[in-house]
Amino acid sequence: MKIVKLKKENLFPFLEVISKDADLWAPVKKNSDRHVFKMIDDLTHINLDYTRTILPPRNIILPPEIRMFRATPLEYEPNFSHVAKRILFGVHPCDIHGLLIMDKFYSFMYDDPYYIESRKNTIILGHSCWPDENCLCKSTNTHIVEEGYDLFFTDLKKNYLVWIGSSRGDDLIRMKPDLFEEEIANEDIQSFIRRREEKDKAFQTEINFTAMPDLMELKYNDPLWDELGTACLACGSCSNVCPTCNCYNVEDKPVLGENCSDISRCWDACTLENYSGVAGGENFREKRSERLKLWYTHKLQAYISKYGKPACVGCGRCVVTCPVDINVLTVGKALDGNGIDSFWSRLSKEVTR
Amino acid sequence: MNNNKPKIGIYELTGCAGDALLILDCENELLDIFQAADIQSFLMAKSDNIDGDLDVALVEGSVTTEREIEELKDIRNRAKIVVAIGLCATVGGLQGRFTDSEEWGENLKKVYGDVEMTHTKAVQSKPIDAYINVDFYLPGCPIGKEQFLNFFTRLVGGSPPEKYPHPVCVSCKYNENDCLLNRGLPCLGPLTADGCGSVCINHNLPCVGCWGPVEGANLTSAFYLLKDKGFDVEYIKKVMANYSGTKITTFFDQLKKEKQ
Repeated sequence: MKIVKLKKENLFPFLEVISKDADLWAPVKKNSDRHVFKMIDDLTHINLDYTRTILPPRNIILPPEIRMFRATPLEYEPNFSHVAKRILFGVHPCDIHGLLIMDKFYSFMYDDPYYIESRKNTIILGHSCWPDENCLCKSTNTHIVEEGYDLFFTDLKKNYLVWIGSSRGDDLIRMKPDLFEEEIANEDIQSFIRRREEKDKAFQTEINFTAMPDLMELKYNDPLWDELGTACLACGSCSNVCPTCNCYNVEDKPVLGENCSDISRCWDACTLENYSGVAGGENFREKRSERLKLWYTHKLQAYISKYGKPACVGCGRCVVTCPVDINVLTVGKALDGNGIDSFWSRLSKEVTR
Repeated sequence: MNNNKPKIGIYELTGCAGDALLILDCENELLDIFQAADIQSFLMAKSDNIDGDLDVALVEGSVTTEREIEELKDIRNRAKIVVAIGLCATVGGLQGRFTDSEEWGENLKKVYGDVEMTHTKAVQSKPIDAYINVDFYLPGCPIGKEQFLNFFTRLVGGSPPEKYPHPVCVSCKYNENDCLLNRGLPCLGPLTADGCGSVCINHNLPCVGCWGPVEGANLTSAFYLLKDKGFDVEYIKKVMANYSGTKITTFFDQLKKEKQ
């Protein structure tokens, strides 16, 4: 690993050069306080002053719906039109960890070509961030990254320190080496250390994730799950915004007037009602409480048992998205025996009174 | 020449005829539609309509008169498969919002006065499954082009159509909208069947529920959530019932009981 320095005024010239042969994606402003990743045609639209985008970057690697192949009675024609050479700029550490978790899912036992092809063609340029009250990444230990990026930009006000994380990243620097400085002044190192200390202190909330697998086991039959189920709107949003949710559905779409079918694949969510529905009309998880229990078991217990860390990267998207306050923060706190003020806890008092 | 093609009839009861219009509006696919099926009856599209035996009847609109009850029963007798298309046929539509007949009677009088209807008698507006068995439902106000074409293609190919099961929130997130409920607006997205692609929310307008309730909608939580956000109970009931037709009746009955 190597670290170089880039003056801020040299950022756009650098992005301009490297995005000549690839689609550049970066955060832009959606409304007053939310951001989204968008394909950039004008560098001035990029807005790095953001905490979290509405959707995680997995939606750029695999869009909500792709056509996998067209099947005729005799053959099929694979379709990889979702794959493009992409540069994803401005990705925060939590989202880089999210992609690393996606990589594990989609290469576990077999490689999933639709994901892997698109992922291989996507260059990740990370960017430092600053926590708000809903960031839990220090608790999940995903506030720093050691791998998963090609370049990582740490903002030191006037300059960036740029970590080179791969040979592909090194190649990018070599496209315009005169923009970078190899000498890093002591002053820059000091300001990097100060930034890191201040950021560590800026976290306003924490969850004891190491306790979660035991608590999930001990509270498997806790009335908490019914309380959550009473409030859950089953809208699927917690899953759809989660950087580590990876479930999808495959659907046959016959083509009108032709003897063939398009086989399409779209993101699915275990929190949606029909997810566990099977042929014959049965549904293994009809109750919302059971579906939520599955979701949290996966994030806070099963994945920890297998990989030693939670399948939550602490991005806070579920916290700002769920309209009834069912999220990793309130559920984690409730599992840990803390009283919390949330819509779902208020509702359970209202309907059982 | 049409021997092997499924015989299809498209019928309109009380509604705005928007669903039949949407079928005609599938301009790029229209030739394929007429090629794939033997369209026996489609009042909006052609004049030589035959009322014979059918493989599939697509019925739009709610049942609003005694004559329509008879017409609907006749369609059911002639068709192997009956599909309710559009909001009015699936849940009763805007005109089906009166949840008890007393309220409906008062309203009828308010609008029509003491005029005596001679050609037929008005009845309380109801979805078509209030009178006949329905095999499939394709909701929408009007139905969506993509959903209709998927549905139609499966139907004429002899496969059972798959119901799109999700609420509007699913499309809404894919379209990267900030949740309007979280911004204090009375959005019915979580309660409403998707198919519109969250078109209103994409334009910063809350969902009004025009595709009718999605299966498994959590009405209780949504009701208390809007109350928690400071909306008046009567207002919430009005918003929730507006497009939900008769399918929300039992929920309000339960709420009434809870209050007592």
